[in-house]
Amino acid sequence: MNATPETAAIETRGLSKTYDGKVEALRGIDLTVRQGEMFALLGPNGAGKTTLFSILATLRKPTGGEARVLGLDVLKQRPAVRQRMGIVFQEPALAQTMTVRDNLLLMALFYGLSMSEARTRVREILETLQIKDIEDREAQKLSGGQKRKLELARSLVSNPDILFLDEATLGLDVDARRNFWAQVRMFIRSGRSVFFTTHYMEEAEVADRIALIDKGQIIALGTPQELKARIGGGVILLGTRDDAKAVAWLNAQGYKPEQSERGIVVVHAQPAAVLPLILAEMPVKTLRAEVHEPSLEDVFLTLTGRGLGSGDAPKPAASAMGGAR
Amino acid sequence: MRGLFAVIILDMKRLWGDRIRLVSSLIQPLLYLFMLGSGLGASSTLGSNHYLPYIFPGVVALSLLFTSVFAAILIVFDRQMGFLKAVLVAPVPRPAIAIGKVISGAIQALVPGTLMMVFMPLIGLRPSLPEFLCFLGAAGLAAIAFSALGVAVAARFKSMTVFPIISNAMLLPMFFLSGALYPLDVAPRWLQLLAHADPVAYAVDLMRGSLFGKTFFPVWLSFVVLAGFITLTTWLATRIFTTGEDA
Repeated sequence: MNATPETAAIETRGLSKTYDGKVEALRGIDLTVRQGEMFALLGPNGAGKTTLFSILATLRKPTGGEARVLGLDVLKQRPAVRQRMGIVFQEPALAQTMTVRDNLLLMALFYGLSMSEARTRVREILETLQIKDIEDREAQKLSGGQKRKLELARSLVSNPDILFLDEATLGLDVDARRNFWAQVRMFIRSGRSVFFTTHYMEEAEVADRIALIDKGQIIALGTPQELKARIGGGVILLGTRDDAKAVAWLNAQGYKPEQSERGIVVVHAQPAAVLPLILAEMPVKTLRAEVHEPSLEDVFLTLTGRGLGSGDAPKPAASAMGGAR
Repeated sequence: MRGLFAVIILDMKRLWGDRIRLVSSLIQPLLYLFMLGSGLGASSTLGSNHYLPYIFPGVVALSLLFTSVFAAILIVFDRQMGFLKAVLVAPVPRPAIAIGKVISGAIQALVPGTLMMVFMPLIGLRPSLPEFLCFLGAAGLAAIAFSALGVAVAARFKSMTVFPIISNAMLLPMFFLSGALYPLDVAPRWLQLLAHADPVAYAVDLMRGSLFGKTFFPVWLSFVVLAGFITLTTWLATRIFTTGEDA
């Protein structure tokens, strides 16, 4: 079955996955990713991101519901789905003792190319991704950024219609991440789709749409702007000498504060107007006070009462990503 | 079959990069042949001169068994290092992955196994060309059977530490039961009965029969058992590869 422009890049209906009959990793996921879309799945550890990713990547079977990639059933048409997708995993998936060129050649053979076709395709990829200078180097001797580039090259060998990226830039420095995403943007310019999971806010914000996932369910879905608009107004971020006492006081005043790694977060329709009042009346010494636009972290915090716990502090989108799409 | 060739190329490239492993895999069978064989041969009713040629097929089987099963550790390694995932998301039919792994394991085992044959004249074994070719054929069949066993076991394992322990616990009884170091026809009845359930025994018997003309099991039975064993274990491995990360 060929995907028409109307066919969704990804479509799931009531998708569920239970491990050992007990642990519900996914609980009825309904999701539609359009063709040509860059779609981010954002959520904390254990939210179900990797399980959903593994099902779409044909590595796991769902226990309920259905999932289609480019109109192809991920259970009944696995080989066809595999032929049309490229994947970059969170962990390295390289033959470490083989050279960059051999890793790519081998993968091209796995995708059914003849040896001469494989050689041509590998030469193209090496040039496109500008890694020709390291083609003779063993994978195990590459830097973190080079390894990720090779992973991306590996996923593109088959000339896929959809690219899956699972925390693909985890552990990379800002420069390497910027470089990685620049290459991904080259891929989507040709009208193909990207589905990615990430912990990094600034990465998620370049997506056309984002799904927030928590405890195996999609809790919000929309463009970054739509998601931020859901919580309205702005965000006050406070650091105090006694956060517990400050939170109790804010609660008593009806502000509904949340505690996160960044400090106390208060979402309010008019943050600039209420901040002076808070600072004047709060019975705890304030060490730091900021007012800013809501971030995706704030959206998640407001919806779940918990932070995403990404580890790395978010960097400004423009600097980390080389500019939004 | 698509991907079969790629699986074999992958392992052959790695084998070439790990030539020390190849050479070192000769040490164990040579110790069995010359040290254990000479020691046991002195007290055997066959005598040293006849005992070493007698156990030679068994020692080659030992080399094939351990090398091919341990070649399958690359599957566990690839799973642990994440590379197996990249293979499993490629549109390669699962039987091609399993069969490719079986063939590459057999090739890896046949390299030291064939090198062992250099020692034949040293122990007084001078087979005719047809005998030698039959021996090679039997060794090839044995290598495929043992490799298929290794692949079926390794496909399920996720730990590089546990796999060798379990493999050793499984392989040593199979080897000792096989009649590799003693004639099965004079072994106690219970040992003979257990040997009927041991595929290594059929492989050793077929290899020994090709050199000496006398077998414990009917030749057709050895072929049927080994072919059945290869089919069953390859099917098991295919099933596990099909299950993917749910395995």
